[in-house]
Amino acid sequence: MNVLATADLGLMLQLVPVQRAGFALLLAAVGLPIVGVVIVGLDIMPVRFAMMHVALLGVAVGLLTGLDPMLCALVACALAGAGVAPLARTPDGLSGAMGLLMSMAIAAALLVLSVSGVNASGAFALLWGSILSVGGADLVVVGVLAVVVPALFWWRRRDLALLLYDRELAQCSGVRVGPLTVVLLVLVAVAVAGAIKLTGALLVDALTLLPALAARRLGKRLTTIALWAVAIGVAVNVTGFLIALWLDWPPGPVLVLTAGAVVLAVHLIPERSITSCPPPAPAAASSSSR
Amino acid sequence: MRGVTCGHGRVVAVDGVDLEVAAGERVALTGTNGSGKSTLLRTVLGLHRHTAGTVLVGGRGTASAADRAWRRRACAWVPQKPAVGRFPLLAGELLDSGGAPERAAEAARALGVGALRRRPLDTLSGGQLQRMYLARAIGCVAAGAGVLLADEPTAALDFAGQEEAAEALMALPVTVVVVTHDRALAERCDRVLDMAAGRLREVAR
Repeated sequence: MNVLATADLGLMLQLVPVQRAGFALLLAAVGLPIVGVVIVGLDIMPVRFAMMHVALLGVAVGLLTGLDPMLCALVACALAGAGVAPLARTPDGLSGAMGLLMSMAIAAALLVLSVSGVNASGAFALLWGSILSVGGADLVVVGVLAVVVPALFWWRRRDLALLLYDRELAQCSGVRVGPLTVVLLVLVAVAVAGAIKLTGALLVDALTLLPALAARRLGKRLTTIALWAVAIGVAVNVTGFLIALWLDWPPGPVLVLTAGAVVLAVHLIPERSITSCPPPAPAAASSSSR
Repeated sequence: MRGVTCGHGRVVAVDGVDLEVAAGERVALTGTNGSGKSTLLRTVLGLHRHTAGTVLVGGRGTASAADRAWRRRACAWVPQKPAVGRFPLLAGELLDSGGAPERAAEAARALGVGALRRRPLDTLSGGQLQRMYLARAIGCVAAGAGVLLADEPTAALDFAGQEEAAEALMALPVTVVVVTHDRALAERCDRVLDMAAGRLREVAR
């Protein structure tokens, strides 16, 4: 049984769509987990739901106008990301804005779809993703993200570490907090939109948030957290994809479950064996309840 | 500062404050909790918006981005309640952010927290964290800041620490505005101002 299955796997890996999907996932594992680190750091978890809805609106507009739906989704997400940036002064403000954006975007999407009379199932297919139909344009998007995100992160890592620790401290340290937040939110939005094609909007977390959540527990500073996130992302994407191929299961859910298992496993490691200097009891209690 | 007014929502926290601090002068701001002292300091830093009046530091306002950047370089800050962030930041990274890493590291050693550089800030005690911020501010001064704005810089420290911190603060060759409830620290200042219900008044000495 095992021999048969691995033979199948070898055959499948020779198929171009499979190779392309695997390559896309590898590229995604370089850029997207760092975006996840930013999402966790800025405490804007709802952003991915909001962007998912905005992407749907973009697709609806694309279907209506005849433009490339994926391109429209990217542009819509980028605009939305930049649009909510002024509300980022407080994390609460941003979360609220995300909620508003989410409801308005989905309402607008449904309206556009119904007014234009296009078949809505095309738009909703986006929610499930189709990794084996990844096209050249999608590869370019994740490829660009795989270069731009780590480069930007490395270039601005000191500013980022200060911003994610405390906005006011960053401000007083000469970090240009406003522009940096806009860039981060646009990047987050575009990355989420780009990842939608790979796993589907509902499962974007596997590529972004989940590696970051596991890494948050393993790293002691921003740079080590980001490195852990990328390492976990690569490991999860490769194993998840191979398992999915091997068992002939849909890749999206398998990727999410693999990533989720890693997060759970990491949280089962006692904190004392991770940090070389164990924090005092109150700090340990608050970090585990977070 | 001339006619500075600012508030939290509709509540007026600072009400028409006029204050002129000469270069090199050391001013202590005292007053009850909630009287607007911290808000006043934060306004100078540009962390809190004022609804009326003008704030000039070194004769410069904050009209342009360049002015605001200059203000942030010119003012070293010791926050009242240092935020414990969502993400870990190493103590060393905090010290380096002041612009003069070596001087800040030296100050941290002098304040007894030099060995904690590799520790994330959220694992430090309140007093250790306050010393770190103090060391960072000393680094800011070394990097060219001419004003030190300190918000209860000795509140979390033990008695010996308060003495040390006051010594370190007063030894700096800069203009100092310090919010404090620490009488010993206030007495070392050239002027003591008392704030009540958003208004400022000079305390006769």
